[in-house]
Amino acid sequence: MVILQNSGTPIYQQIAEQIKADIVNGRIKENEYLPSIRGLAKDLKISVITTMKAYDELAEEGYVTAVQGKGYIVNPQDTEMMREQHLRRIEDGLTDAIKAARLAGIGGEELKNMLDILLDEQ
Amino acid sequence: MFLEDVITGKNIEKSFGSFKLDVPELHIPKGFATALIGENGAGKTTLLNILTGLRLDAKGEIKYFGKYDGVESDPYVKNTIGYVGSGYYYLPHWTTKQVEEITGLLFDDFDKEKFEKIAAALALDLKGKMGAPKKVSELSDGNKVKLMLCGALARKTGMLIMDEPASPLDPLMRDNLCDLIREYLNNGQGERSVFFSTHNVADMESVTDYVMIMEKGKIVEEGFVEDLKEKYVIVKGEKEYADGARKVLFSISESSYGFTGVCLSENLDALAGMNISTERASLTDICVAVMKKYSGLSLSKDLEI
Repeated sequence: MVILQNSGTPIYQQIAEQIKADIVNGRIKENEYLPSIRGLAKDLKISVITTMKAYDELAEEGYVTAVQGKGYIVNPQDTEMMREQHLRRIEDGLTDAIKAARLAGIGGEELKNMLDILLDEQ
Repeated sequence: MFLEDVITGKNIEKSFGSFKLDVPELHIPKGFATALIGENGAGKTTLLNILTGLRLDAKGEIKYFGKYDGVESDPYVKNTIGYVGSGYYYLPHWTTKQVEEITGLLFDDFDKEKFEKIAAALALDLKGKMGAPKKVSELSDGNKVKLMLCGALARKTGMLIMDEPASPLDPLMRDNLCDLIREYLNNGQGERSVFFSTHNVADMESVTDYVMIMEKGKIVEEGFVEDLKEKYVIVKGEKEYADGARKVLFSISESSYGFTGVCLSENLDALAGMNISTERASLTDICVAVMKKYSGLSLSKDLEI
């Protein structure tokens, strides 16, 4: 896991995103426990509360469940729900792009062209 | 959250002349590292001395580990707290060997081997050039802190209380101190806690879970660092918006180009329509804003140096 101190993205979010990716890609399997909060804090050289917040976010979004006294266990992944969440994130990103385009006076066609070019580049 | 206190205080008061320490409620969370931050003379050391029993003339009630009333109520309390003071409590003519022996006599569960192991890990040379144990007076301030850390960590403790442990340490050692705190908490599996005062907020942020900010003897702000970072947000804007922002912001500093301030997130809506940028606050930003607000201290714009 890579944590950037000055990327502008809060550290807890960076952790949550990377664990989400690991869960989605199957690198962490369902019914596996995440590393202990204090263990991960130690390994990443960050505070306990930051790790806790990352795990809380994962629990809130349904990726993991907190088990009293044992830690956080990875939930079976409901693909439909995951798809929904990804769709929502894509929508948010596109909405941001539209807002930025309006500010710059860039119209719909030009924006679509930009998207096509970016898609080609990937 | 599933929170328990490791130390709970009620109506802790102590006056010296015009200064008064006044802490109606104190809750140090169990399983975390809590930082006590404040200006010089804010009362941090006084509070730590009361909690560790170095000062027994204060008013109020203090409960330790959820069941012991007062630091003197049961030997368990002092045996379970490791203390690193700013006053270098080992006598100057003691040798490091004597420190080791005396700590072993004073506390149960002192582990001599662990003491020497920790000293080696902290690059603290217990012996002088001729191989004889060094005297405490021969140690630098940073090494005295390391020696106290060795004494505290070589015992079986459930809590570490440290008064300005970072100040005399160099940047590398501060980093080591943070690692040590995390290691201590990790091996305690939620049963160990750390409480320390510091001026070196930025250096200690990576290990701080909960923070208490003290000003003139009172705790004026406290909370989990991640919660405070949601509560406060940095706001920057051009000069023309400064007048409007000033009424809303928690604290503000202005220059001829624009302003930078800290805003309570809940008041951010009041800035809608202004062309401003926001940024996530660091713990240092929050501490400085809170200390400025409550102390009224900031450099006057007219000051020429």
